Amino acid sequence: MAKILDKLLPNSTERILKLRQSLDWVQVEIDALEEKYQTLKNKEIKKFTDKANKALVPSAYKACDKAEYADNVLGEKLQAYDVKNYLKHRAANHKAAKEIFKAIKEGSDYSSALEVLSRSNAAMLEKRDAFVAKLELEKEKFLKSNNSSDNATYESLSKDYILKYEAFRNALDEKYGTMHEAEKAKLEAKAEILQKKIDTEKAKGTSEKTLDDDVILSVKGLKMYFGGLRAVDDLSFDVKKGEIFGLIGPNGAGKTTVFNCITQFYKPTAGELLFTTKDGETITLTDYKVHDIVLKGIARTFQNVEVVKEVSVLDNLLIAATRNYSSSLLVQMLHLPKLKREEKIIRARADKILKYMDLYAYRDRLAWGLPYGVLKRIEIARALMCNPQLVILDEPAAGLNESETHALAEMINKIRVDFDCTVLLVEHDMGLVMSVCDHICAISFGKKLACGTPAEVQSSKEVQEAYLGVGEE
Amino acid sequence: MMIKKNKLTSPLFREDADRKSVERKLRFLEKIRKHPTFSFAIFALVLVLMQVLSKAGLVSSSFVTAIGTTVIFCIVALGFCLLLGYSALASLGTAGFIGIGAYSAYYCLVEWDLSIGIAFIVAILAAFVIGIIVGYISLRIEGIYLAIVTLGVAQIIKEVLSAICDTIKIKGSQLTLFGVETMKLKTDHVFYILIAILFVLMVITQNLMNSPTGRAMLAMKNSTSAAQAFGISLLRYRLLAFIISIIYASVAGLLYMMYVRYVSNSSSTLFTLSTSLNILGAVIIGGTKSIWGTIGGTFIIYGIDKMFLQDIDFFRENPTLITLFCGILVVVVVMFYPGGLAQLVMELKYKLTKLSKKIREARYGKDLG
Repeated sequence: MAKILDKLLPNSTERILKLRQSLDWVQVEIDALEEKYQTLKNKEIKKFTDKANKALVPSAYKACDKAEYADNVLGEKLQAYDVKNYLKHRAANHKAAKEIFKAIKEGSDYSSALEVLSRSNAAMLEKRDAFVAKLELEKEKFLKSNNSSDNATYESLSKDYILKYEAFRNALDEKYGTMHEAEKAKLEAKAEILQKKIDTEKAKGTSEKTLDDDVILSVKGLKMYFGGLRAVDDLSFDVKKGEIFGLIGPNGAGKTTVFNCITQFYKPTAGELLFTTKDGETITLTDYKVHDIVLKGIARTFQNVEVVKEVSVLDNLLIAATRNYSSSLLVQMLHLPKLKREEKIIRARADKILKYMDLYAYRDRLAWGLPYGVLKRIEIARALMCNPQLVILDEPAAGLNESETHALAEMINKIRVDFDCTVLLVEHDMGLVMSVCDHICAISFGKKLACGTPAEVQSSKEVQEAYLGVGEE
Repeated sequence: MMIKKNKLTSPLFREDADRKSVERKLRFLEKIRKHPTFSFAIFALVLVLMQVLSKAGLVSSSFVTAIGTTVIFCIVALGFCLLLGYSALASLGTAGFIGIGAYSAYYCLVEWDLSIGIAFIVAILAAFVIGIIVGYISLRIEGIYLAIVTLGVAQIIKEVLSAICDTIKIKGSQLTLFGVETMKLKTDHVFYILIAILFVLMVITQNLMNSPTGRAMLAMKNSTSAAQAFGISLLRYRLLAFIISIIYASVAGLLYMMYVRYVSNSSSTLFTLSTSLNILGAVIIGGTKSIWGTIGGTFIIYGIDKMFLQDIDFFRENPTLITLFCGILVVVVVMFYPGGLAQLVMELKYKLTKLSKKIREARYGKDLG
């Protein structure tokens, strides 16, 4: 019973996770404040200008050039007439065309059909001419009664309104400025309280392990046994902050197992996995459940694409942001404004990432039946959606052709800079690995063969043997 | 400054302003019309209209009763739709959980003499507790095994309930709103309550389906590893879907007791496996992911024989043929439209737009561009 209760109640790490999440939302809200007040301001300004426009109509009418005015009104009327008669015209043409085609096929004379068509067209044109003449008459009548043009009142009135508008804007700026400041201060106070809570929770925690400043992930003596099979045996490597780190090895070397250990899909038999989070804190990954890893800033893709196929591409990205929502179930059931606000912010972020990954054209398409290269890009976009510190790519180039692989290499380099993250990748395509990676670790049968820069690994004899076999001497 | 002379002197200015305001209103109306809640409201109104018509003597009262009982099963099916279509969990224990609702209604209203509101709370709480216990144990198992566990649980619940009290019955005088003697609920009042609750649950289900929770459930259904990698706890969301479906079933059981007022455990099939299977069939016929499909499927399984076939002499004399008829319908739907009624409607819509385009082209020639 106690065990179950222990599982149901949140422990310290979960509490910190929750607090961190609400802190993140406060930060997001602070960031969104400016936009919120800008839209409010724009709304009021639009209201004001609409009102001003309406008030200015009579004088503007007096000021305008009457002939031009009449031309415009009549032009609109003529256009409406043409639109109205378009389908009639089209139907007559279609009918005639059908008859003519039929006649040509049968080899008979089609002049009668042509005649009918030209007659109907002439009748239509005649009608239109009559309408135009009517409009001209109307114009003359109008110009006779209204031909004066008075610009002065309009000018003075509009000047007046411009002054008023400026005063209104200033007042608006002041009003919303103070409101903005007040809300910002409130939110910042909230953030401070949350930060304090997190700090006290952290202080309760035990054993602070430390990593070197520039190391983001450290794997020490990792062992993963499946029964008697030693998939990973005493593997150690360090990934430095901001680099692209490649993990290579022949088939069945245990590369994906290492990834699964890092993301806690497998609980390693032995070994230590240390990770530096966004705020410089060093954590042991094995303390966390598999679904909490993403909150710590590790996002991954899969070897065989695991895109959710029955929802749209956008929804796929939103799925990755599930943990970013702080709305409770009740809020979600009733679709309260809080959820709408969060949706708006998260959707905007998803759109940005879709545009960045060149996927915006597929935004509302179902993921079902999209090309493989696009699915791969969706996977990477989905990983980026979690604001990761470390992106783990599991064979990103598998199934891509040469030009696509080339584009991928560029994209990985770009992502590292633009999203300020570290990339850890497993790959079979040696060209990609050698051109993109800063450091490489080669493994075989779960054991480390060599670790270093691409050139070093390439020249290592053990690696050559593992890939090509032992040479006969 | 946005005020410009040439804009103002634009000829259509006045008409433009008028047209714009009209357009804005139309757009607003269109937005409401396209909102799913609007169609739910129309559906609820149509059902209420049936009751009004039957009062005026235009529709037979047995027809309205058939609608009422079907609506109760619609509520069960809505919860099941969330469970099967969104989380891909199949439970065969639905009937047992209906029983929990029915018995809590009986005990609250008759034995303990409490008001209906409290009966609702008790039914939901009972379902919640049992759901957590059963779910926490059985949701670690996947697929067909969950169906077996829930089947067993439902059987246990049924046996326990029938051992406690075989026949449960509520008298009309015992149904009072807020415990006030003068506010007695007649059958037609209960019918309105049924419709209102169906409407609310439809809206809630729709909202859940379009919320992060619904998306998380879909992700879990498609790929458990991807879901976990993006922070979706499998146990949490499975438990959630399971408990929601149980609460819906329990509420439906309570409403059944309020509407029909009599269940005999030994003679009726309400708490047996056949109900669970019928609900499963209804959701599959309807199309597992669509609310309208679910409602339609339930109306086919439960509604058609009670609403129409009972009126035909031939079927009244041979009651087994009704089941045969429904069975054939199920086979036909599943054979030709594996996506259920939702797929059928989608295809019809597609065909209709194609047909209208064809007619247009025959008359006016091909569209340019």
